[in-house]
Amino acid sequence: MSRPYDAIVIGAGHNGLTTAARLAKAGLRVLALEGRDTVGGALVTEEIHPGFKVDAACHQIGALHPGVVGDLDQALGVTPDIVRSDPVVFAPLIDGHPLLLWRDPIATAEAIATFSKRDAESWSAFVELISKAAGLLEAAYERTPPDLLSVDASDLWSLVRLGGRARRLGKRDMMEVARLLTMTAVELLDEWFENDLLKGTLGATGVTGMFQGPMAAGTAYMLLHNHVGTENGTVRSADRVRGGVGVLSHALRDLARSCGVEIRTNARVTRITVKDGRAIGVVLANGDELEAERVISNADPRRTFLDLVDPLDLAPRFVRQVQNIKYRGACAKVNLALDTLPSFAVSDPALLGGVVSISPSLDYLERAYDDAKYGDISREPYLEAVIPSLADPSLAPDGKHVMSILVQYAPYHLNDGTWDESRTSELGDRVVKTLAQYAPNLEQIVLARHVLSPRDLETDFGLTEGNIYHGEMTLDQLFFMRPVPGWARYRTPIENLYLCGAGTHPGGGVTGRPGYNAAREILKDVKRG
Amino acid sequence: MAANRYDAVVIGGGHNGLVAAAYLARAGKKVLVLERRHLVGGSAVTEEIYPGFKYSVCSYVVSLLRPEIIRELDLSAHGLDLLPLESTVTPLPNGDYLARWADHDQTRRELYRHSPRDAEAYDEFGTLMYHLAFAVKPILSMVPPDPTSLSPADLRSLLKLANHFRGLGEEKLYPLIKLMTMSSADYLDEWFETEALKATMSASGVIGTFLGPRSPGTAYVLLHHYMGEIDGAFRAWGFAKGGTGSVSEAIASAARGLGAEIRTEASVARVIIENGRAAGVALESGEEIRANVVVSGVDPRLTFLGLIEPDELPSEFVQAIKRFRIRGSSGKVNLALDALPNLACLPGVGPHLRGAVSISPSIEYLERAYDDAKYGSFSRHPYMDIVLPSMIDPDMAPPGKHVMSIFVQYAPYELNGGWNDAQREEFGDAVIDTLSEYMPNLKEIILHRQVLTPWDMERDFGLTEGNIFHGELSLHQLFFMRPAAPWTDYHTPIKDFYQCGSGTHPGGGISGASGRLAALTMLEDM
Repeated sequence: MSRPYDAIVIGAGHNGLTTAARLAKAGLRVLALEGRDTVGGALVTEEIHPGFKVDAACHQIGALHPGVVGDLDQALGVTPDIVRSDPVVFAPLIDGHPLLLWRDPIATAEAIATFSKRDAESWSAFVELISKAAGLLEAAYERTPPDLLSVDASDLWSLVRLGGRARRLGKRDMMEVARLLTMTAVELLDEWFENDLLKGTLGATGVTGMFQGPMAAGTAYMLLHNHVGTENGTVRSADRVRGGVGVLSHALRDLARSCGVEIRTNARVTRITVKDGRAIGVVLANGDELEAERVISNADPRRTFLDLVDPLDLAPRFVRQVQNIKYRGACAKVNLALDTLPSFAVSDPALLGGVVSISPSLDYLERAYDDAKYGDISREPYLEAVIPSLADPSLAPDGKHVMSILVQYAPYHLNDGTWDESRTSELGDRVVKTLAQYAPNLEQIVLARHVLSPRDLETDFGLTEGNIYHGEMTLDQLFFMRPVPGWARYRTPIENLYLCGAGTHPGGGVTGRPGYNAAREILKDVKRG
Repeated sequence: MAANRYDAVVIGGGHNGLVAAAYLARAGKKVLVLERRHLVGGSAVTEEIYPGFKYSVCSYVVSLLRPEIIRELDLSAHGLDLLPLESTVTPLPNGDYLARWADHDQTRRELYRHSPRDAEAYDEFGTLMYHLAFAVKPILSMVPPDPTSLSPADLRSLLKLANHFRGLGEEKLYPLIKLMTMSSADYLDEWFETEALKATMSASGVIGTFLGPRSPGTAYVLLHHYMGEIDGAFRAWGFAKGGTGSVSEAIASAARGLGAEIRTEASVARVIIENGRAAGVALESGEEIRANVVVSGVDPRLTFLGLIEPDELPSEFVQAIKRFRIRGSSGKVNLALDALPNLACLPGVGPHLRGAVSISPSIEYLERAYDDAKYGSFSRHPYMDIVLPSMIDPDMAPPGKHVMSIFVQYAPYELNGGWNDAQREEFGDAVIDTLSEYMPNLKEIILHRQVLTPWDMERDFGLTEGNIFHGELSLHQLFFMRPAAPWTDYHTPIKDFYQCGSGTHPGGGISGASGRLAALTMLEDM
């Protein structure tokens, strides 16, 4: 057997690659193992129909951790080519003119004014509040959550600095932000606005990926989460990668390799080897055993602790904590190859370059959730659709388009039956039918349809219960409680076993933040020996 | 003039106002309580709406009343007699039932019948909740610090709080944090599998809130209700002998005994403010009463938007009070009965009629009841908490006859089209129809029916939007955010003007804690 690795990273998703690269950069000998034939986890661009390429699962990225962007730039001399659409959102109504949100708050306020003068007047103050609150969250996201029961000196210092950062906001804003953390999106938006379409369109970011409606506490937090690190002044901006998100995965792969990481695809890990309470390596599906000083899992916590580790190596109480992590995927994905552009009521097709948000009101979102709450597919789901081929014609043949649609709510746990072919196809039908109410030609222009149910997201991308965040982003599963209370510092009860995925602080979205933070903690331990 | 001058005037003779008055009088202050109605008690009153039958019209069970108040005001000597309410029966649609009894072994056997696993978990759960309630208790008796303040007192208080939590250890701290943030359904899902058990327990997480059992934040309300204590026994709910009004009567009697003056039919129109300080109150009658300090026991909305000229308050504060969520979600139906109701699942007279009957067969049932309300309708099949006070206290009704108290959720204040007489009757019918599915003889034995909608509660009891807690117990409206930061320590932006109602920490239920803490704060200032 060859010399053991300093670190084995299980799973080459974007967080795994980030951690691997950071560790290798610090001089560690790192091996990253990916079970699929390609890296990037849920960040993949696939051909769904000859000549039509689309981001199969995740179709937009959050604000990447500046450190990751810096690493990419330094190592490869590239920054990912980000498509920043303007307008950022096109929110249509069945009868009535659409709402547009622009990068520029003044332009947005003008657009809002056609619906409500009052709301237009509130816009700039609202945007400012969101920016401030998201700024404070960002400061918290850069830190490893403290251990509440044994705050050490460096934690305390970090907390004090965070407190100082909060105090800089001033007394009023500080309390305002504190309120936001536990509020519902409906409460927040009702305080600010009167127009249903505007509130629905903003509230949608509060429920993305959540098995909750906008009337649930914690959805205002989710709204903020989606604005951490994004451009100040722009609300609901969502970045895409030119050429598809797969391009970002490849950039991160190249970065990792350039730092010296060895990457193996088609190398599925079936077990983490634990000896005397320490992780010492992994076993692959083909029977190969690999040794390492430490093992870092980019898989979600449930998969890591309940599938890859022998439960006998863990305390029963910890196992129970992990079993109690809520996943409950709420999303599905529908990808369409289109013969022409869908006929949304729009003067200029370029206005469809951002997100097409089907979210006419908060009640609409809540009703969509009601169906899912009882285990049914939403009759009229919330849809976040993008037509990436508008800004990036290389994704489809001339004059043709691809459309990528994130669908909510599609519950992983169906009340009646399972996600078989017929239910999956029923979901596809509902999505197309819903969208066709806004773009009447849609049904006629679909050349190919590719539907991923929450079950498919689990099977194809290893997302437990189809949860795109590796665990719900509800208040009880955040910060020092993510993934479970007491183990939120990327370390685990098994010595030398770490977590680096979205199941850890600060959670989901394509940001590289969990992976970046995890690498920092691992390197601290390496230094301590 | 001098004779008419008080150290303190209390607006509203609800239980918190009376508690505050009693504590102030106890410290030798000259106190006057002003109550709009002809009787004291606010929402805690007993009234004979139908001859011979006494209704605890609004609030109907007692459990949260702070033991230190019972002790310090010697309420037992003033006629307070609490009778335990020992069981809860949940009838099920399939004709079966789930019961929990005062007798531990009996409850265990019953739970075992439904799920051996739940029977095992129940004890462990009870122990944990007992410890958590203990962990939270000191907070209920504490004036909330201002976390944004750098004053030594606030910092000390925050540090004390931090140490208190750390002292709990992981076995208690982590579950407590989960409890503060989760939905009651999710929290209970971690422990139990029997639907009726989870639903009946989670019902106490939604009482008084405009939330369903799957809404995050309801687990905390579950704990809030778990803290009920009678004679130090946690979680025992009970009646006051003579109805809930006798709790108010006992506190009023104690207050009078300590020298407080109480005037009924004295409706306050506004607070008199001179040079930025509260100087007294003006009554609807035009009479003016002077006092060194004024304290309001009515809810924050009524207090700050009703009794004070808006230009006397900082606009930010007015804004904060306007957005304080105070949505009413419940109704009340009181019945005079010719005979005892017969439960289909437990026919005949039995010990179960001395406890509560809960219409909460499943989490889904409660969620669907909530769904109706979310979109502005009252629940067609509501959650109901039913008690028969006359079973425990025969003086409540003529011999052989009974009173039934039905707490109903959800009945949204903002009903589509608004509440009117026809809607009220329709709501009453939905309650009786649903209940008749479980009590087949109910319709035949009703002598009189009183239906209270959230609008009625607002009009009759001064509860804004009919909210029984003077403002929702949602996470961002608790502790140092109740009712609006930083005015959460019973002070207000106006000097010498205080608040002592349920709209302040710890809020909700007949606990008296707000009244007591407010009085102690005022005494410290005096």
